[in-house]
Amino acid sequence: MSASPKIIPIGKLLRAENSRFVAGCRVKELETPALGSLVKVKLEDQSEIYGLITHILINDDNLVRQLVSGVSIPSEYTADNRYNRNLPVEIHVLTVGYAQNGQIAHRLPPRPPLSLDQLFLCDDADVRQFTSQHGYLRHILRLQDQPIEELLAAHFAQVKPLQTTEWYKTACEKVITLLRDDYAQLTKVLDVLSELETE
Amino acid sequence: MMENKLSQTHNSQIGFVTGGGLEANLQVRLTVPPQSVQEGAFVVIDSNNWRFYGLVTDLRLTAIDENYANQINAQRFTPQLAELLNQQTLYTNLAVMPVLMMETGPDVDSPEYAAWREEHPNESAPITVKTIPSHHAPVKLADRADIATIFGEENNQNIFRVGNTREQGHPVCLDLDKFVQRSSGIFGTTGSGKSFLARMILAGLINYDRASTLIFDMHNEYGIDTSSSDTGQGVAGLKNKFQSKVQLVGLGADTNIGQQRPDFTLEISHKDITTEDVLQLTEALNLKETTPTTLDALENEFGDNWFTQFMNMRVGAMVENEDGKLEPAPDSVEFWARRAGVHKAAAEGLRSKLTRLFNRPYLKNAPASNGLSDITNALQSGRHVVLSFGNYQSDLDYLLATNLITRKIRDTWEKATNDFHSKKRAEPRPLVVVVEEAHKLLNREMASQTIFSTIARELRKYYVTLLIIDQRPSQIYDEVMSQLGTRISGALGDEDDINAVLSGLPGRGGLRGMLAKLQPKEEVLMLGWGVPMPIPIRSRRYDSQFYKDLLGDEAEAPDMKKSSRMLGF
Repeated sequence: MSASPKIIPIGKLLRAENSRFVAGCRVKELETPALGSLVKVKLEDQSEIYGLITHILINDDNLVRQLVSGVSIPSEYTADNRYNRNLPVEIHVLTVGYAQNGQIAHRLPPRPPLSLDQLFLCDDADVRQFTSQHGYLRHILRLQDQPIEELLAAHFAQVKPLQTTEWYKTACEKVITLLRDDYAQLTKVLDVLSELETE
Repeated sequence: MMENKLSQTHNSQIGFVTGGGLEANLQVRLTVPPQSVQEGAFVVIDSNNWRFYGLVTDLRLTAIDENYANQINAQRFTPQLAELLNQQTLYTNLAVMPVLMMETGPDVDSPEYAAWREEHPNESAPITVKTIPSHHAPVKLADRADIATIFGEENNQNIFRVGNTREQGHPVCLDLDKFVQRSSGIFGTTGSGKSFLARMILAGLINYDRASTLIFDMHNEYGIDTSSSDTGQGVAGLKNKFQSKVQLVGLGADTNIGQQRPDFTLEISHKDITTEDVLQLTEALNLKETTPTTLDALENEFGDNWFTQFMNMRVGAMVENEDGKLEPAPDSVEFWARRAGVHKAAAEGLRSKLTRLFNRPYLKNAPASNGLSDITNALQSGRHVVLSFGNYQSDLDYLLATNLITRKIRDTWEKATNDFHSKKRAEPRPLVVVVEEAHKLLNREMASQTIFSTIARELRKYYVTLLIIDQRPSQIYDEVMSQLGTRISGALGDEDDINAVLSGLPGRGGLRGMLAKLQPKEEVLMLGWGVPMPIPIRSRRYDSQFYKDLLGDEAEAPDMKKSSRMLGF
């Protein structure tokens, strides 16, 4: 996939495995990535690994603990802690596919990205192209440690305006197909999607 | 080369096979709303060069998880999501009873077709199902061509349309030749249209000349024009429509049938009455256990004159002998009883009870004409006889006349059949004896004694079969019921009656529900040996349109034709 001028770098990889990876970014870079956003990592061989942000983690450190326990925090201390702190914000990404020689596959990549590889937020065209098929949704539904209904709703809220009504209907059908044997989980997902539709 | 008919099923798929078997029926997941399929629907299933034909015997709502069914999803989720959810989690299962299968070969356009056709040069025919379709084989409602493949297409000969399928109105036919090969039955509660259906089938048999028919018309419904008790509209009689092909016969010399004179009347000679005929009236005449002994003695002494002789005996007649003592008169019952070694009281009791028979005006010592012979001749010459009971409509008259006439005629046919086999004479013409209120003749107590159970058991050995019409099939002897080839049943309310109609047939469980849920009018279930597979149908209406279709211009009332001719048209 060729790089688009609108593709925004949002961090660099801290650690990775085939099915998920974690990138770190500075607090001030945290304005663009959001839960459910489609992101990608470009590898040296020009292939790209796509993922969905499932989790954004802001770790504490001793300084923050001390500041929090203080009576009052001067605003310059807060600003300094956010812009100059050494601990990065962690962006947890679920791998949902990859692109090789221009061909998108909704399977796990042969190899994970490497540390310090750059993480980019996908632009609209990229999102439209990657999500045109619905196979990648299965990766979301296998998550065990995340509220998948919230993740799905966040993802659909971002993709729905870029796709057709038919796309959304098919996506819902796919989700129902994959989750229909799990009544409790499916009804939670549909509750959230119903909220999304009526907003 | 045969055209591959099976690619002609135009109906769209309604579901796919998910499980089941020959014993437990096939399970089919319905992919259309349940209201588009009814119990009894005729479906076809294509699977690996075979086409299976089956009947829907049950529809059942089910869900992937009962929780999905236990709440109204549209109230919890948006309508679109609820609809998508319902589509995938709630569904209907059909139970399909596989009945027939036929090898269809590969698609006619496929490269394998030529080789298959070479291996199978003869046209495929449906056979009883011996295997099952594969998982996920598509299921469709049978179309007109499928139904014609199984039930035949109306051909103005032996294949006769009796109705239409309930959902799509495709014609369903009956093979009249097969229908007359074994005894048949038409059943249904009062008002379910039994006699209309019987008239329709008889009209087909008469028009296409497939058999002679002898109709015991207990209620004057078949021969002459009547009116419907429900609608008050006129109902054509067979005589009116088929004129000289049908002979109206009245029982007794002065019998009129409605306002119409019969073609001839029937008086029965005393000599034609056998002791067996009397024994069949045991219940009607309340005869005692001693009756057979007395009758045997009468027959041994008087031969076929026994009836007249016994009638002429007097009960209690005494004369004075030379010694001035009273003793039984020579023409008394007691006198004969002493001579024959029969108990006096038994003989006198029988004589008293037979008085009801002796008084029947249609039983004559010397009838003016031989009506029985006339009936036999008419039937042998290809005509049809409707016997009306006129003023003699008691059970006694019905039991006596039907048994006696049928026995005589069946004897004639038996002789003709034996001549055919031994002397190479002409093959006897098939004869159908139509009996209403059949339970009176074929109940458990009487079945072993009447000629009717003999005919039912003989199948078509002597070319005589029965068409029994009854509203209480459970009252008919099981052994007779199980011999019926074709059974056509309208709605039946009683569980015993339903079981009786299904006796001896495979797949009774599925058919029972179907039979119990027939509409009270015009819907009938055809089943049995005489039809390739059971099928519920909306029966053809017996009306002017029926006769127009059957007879064309001839359907016009003969009176009008006569008037037209007189006027020079």
